[in-house]
Amino acid sequence: MPRIIIDGRPIDCREDISVLQAALDAGGDVPHYCYHPGLSIVASCRLCLMEMKVPNPRTQEPDWSPKLLPACQTPVRDGMEVRFHSERVRENQRSCMEFFLLNHPLDCPVCDQSGECWLQDYSFKFGRAESRMIDEKCKNPKKDVGPHTLLYQDRCVMCTRCVRFTQEISGTSELCVVNRGSRCEIDAFPGKPLANPLQGNVVDLCPVGALLDKQFLFRQRVWLLTSTPSICAGCATGCAIWVDHNQGTLWRLRPRYNPGVNDWWMCDDGRFGWRYVHDGKRIAAPRVRRGSEQTTPDWAAVPQLVRFRIEEHVRRHGGATLAAVLSPFMTCEEAWLLIRVLRDKAPASTLVLGPVPTAGETRHFPVGATGNTVKFTIQAEKCPNRRGIELLLAAAGGNVLTFEQFAEQAGKGEFKGAWIVGGYPQPWVDKATAKLAAQFELLIVQDIFENDLLPGAAIVLPACAWAEREGCFVNARGLIQPFQRALNPPAGAQRDGQYLYEIAGFQGLYSGVRVRAMMAEKIPAFAQLHEPPPMPRHAH
Amino acid sequence: MAWPTIDRNQPAGDSGAAPLLSEAVREKIRSFFARYETKRAALLPALHIVQDALGHVPPQAMVEVAEVLDIAPAAVLDTASFYTHFWTHPKGAQVIVVCRGLTCEVLGGNAVLEELKRLLGIDEHGTSADGRYSLVTEDCLAGCDHGPCLLIGEKLHRRVRPEDVARILADPDNGRLAYERSTLFDAPSSAPGEPGAGNGTGGVHEKGSG
Repeated sequence: MPRIIIDGRPIDCREDISVLQAALDAGGDVPHYCYHPGLSIVASCRLCLMEMKVPNPRTQEPDWSPKLLPACQTPVRDGMEVRFHSERVRENQRSCMEFFLLNHPLDCPVCDQSGECWLQDYSFKFGRAESRMIDEKCKNPKKDVGPHTLLYQDRCVMCTRCVRFTQEISGTSELCVVNRGSRCEIDAFPGKPLANPLQGNVVDLCPVGALLDKQFLFRQRVWLLTSTPSICAGCATGCAIWVDHNQGTLWRLRPRYNPGVNDWWMCDDGRFGWRYVHDGKRIAAPRVRRGSEQTTPDWAAVPQLVRFRIEEHVRRHGGATLAAVLSPFMTCEEAWLLIRVLRDKAPASTLVLGPVPTAGETRHFPVGATGNTVKFTIQAEKCPNRRGIELLLAAAGGNVLTFEQFAEQAGKGEFKGAWIVGGYPQPWVDKATAKLAAQFELLIVQDIFENDLLPGAAIVLPACAWAEREGCFVNARGLIQPFQRALNPPAGAQRDGQYLYEIAGFQGLYSGVRVRAMMAEKIPAFAQLHEPPPMPRHAH
Repeated sequence: MAWPTIDRNQPAGDSGAAPLLSEAVREKIRSFFARYETKRAALLPALHIVQDALGHVPPQAMVEVAEVLDIAPAAVLDTASFYTHFWTHPKGAQVIVVCRGLTCEVLGGNAVLEELKRLLGIDEHGTSADGRYSLVTEDCLAGCDHGPCLLIGEKLHRRVRPEDVARILADPDNGRLAYERSTLFDAPSSAPGEPGAGNGTGGVHEKGSG
């Protein structure tokens, strides 16, 4: 482990990183635009220049070099000494900031990036208060570079992070730098817009307000948003994300640093796939049917009611005729609670993993990458927790069936009662599944949207979108990733975890952590959670 | 003020038309592949070949070059727009580049430029009505010891006086180099040390000895 001295402070750092990364890892604030740990190093912004001790050619004594060196491009070496807290470094930072702001418009009040803009922050911390530029500022036209993204060229600082992203991570190379010198601009080739499945990341990568997301544009000021750490439910990759929300409304998703899983990135399917959360057609209240009469019970009565109906069914038909279909959109905790309810009342009952939605094939990026060169993967399996449910089913033992086996046996009338959990963002009940509903005397459906199972259901419980759930998902690599609840379910609904917790006989508020602790006693795997380290405070 | 937005979702006007690059041009570009480790590296020779063949490098030609080199069209645009040598819109048969460097300026370069503008009836960046000449200026043509100078095609005219301009313009060979252009460009050989590959005989040495 190399030990370097930054501003007189000895720092033990990782091998094969740059001085800039070492300084950031140690909590230092070194301004930088072009450097990103996930991209190649170009050292073009010149904002991270530092002083380094090199041997004086006359005396061979280490002395501060007369030239400033880019910290992002200088690898750490044991015993090296650098400093950022010097007047020459400060002067360079001030000059660079002045240069970046030469043509930058003063349009922060109408700029989406305002509040999370590294020009604002660095200008405040490292820049000059005033610009000495007296000439008229250059005003470049906006560019519509793709279906989801707008480029405000006049705000650009030419860090080329976006260009390198399309070249190195997505592998699609839609963006380029046109012209030269002070006329440099980011551009896409006419008719070949930025439209790859990872393109949303360029908006996150952009340290200033140049690349903006059309869907989020002018929707919210970022300082009004609360960011909750979550796990994307779009596919089995299980990207760590931030859910940005304000007063119960989700506004955008952003990737959260998760080395080895999604690194700094996420795909557009996940990024833009959250709209169903605020769909007005969601089921928002429990329903109970006896004969032709349907009522909406009070939530306080639901646990007792559900338990009673299950007990009644077991008394009449025996526990072996009961089955539960667990959705791969449930958290492990919710699934564990449901298994507990069912196996408690009917130990011979059958557990089933619900249909696993897939779309196309698993895609690797950069395009054409295989093996070690893969930097991002979009799984074909469009659900977050198949492996978690499988893990729980294996631990539960007893009668476990696949959904196809269950459908076949149910078609023969072997089951008289079923608890079916949905929660799929897309319609999932096909005609064959809907037909099964008629087989059951007791059908409990837990779902998010109206479907053909509901008319035959004795009890309908509203399910939650992932942002309203709390617990953990097990991703395609078997990592158990916990996440927090970002939103409340729609008015009138209750969280799946809460009512399952109460149905299972617990009292008080459901907490993923508490349930996980109980699970870990039975299934040791759940003691090993994958929680990514935070990004260094001043890194971006 | 309405602020214009450039739409990159739409292809440039000339797409969908017949291919601009003939098979011979494409084959000439491919003949450069043997000289480099990657196809991408042949981009600059390719742009030269296209500009020689078409007079300029329009967007459609960039797309076709990208196909030949197996790279993204944006990568071609990136390089083509970096070098002022490459024109993305039509230019005259010959480009006159007038030096506006300090030395040429002091030695009377401005008068030469004015005379050119007067005789051709165009301003800087313009193309004469007969399509023979386009006029641009550059910061330095590296002929400071012979200023004022101007470049027509590949030929550098030195110590030009305003009264010489009419004669230079009338000369049909005013853009031809006095010495032969490097055979490295016109007849690219196979990579060194690979006898028999590419077009074989190694144009450089052959021409050099002859």
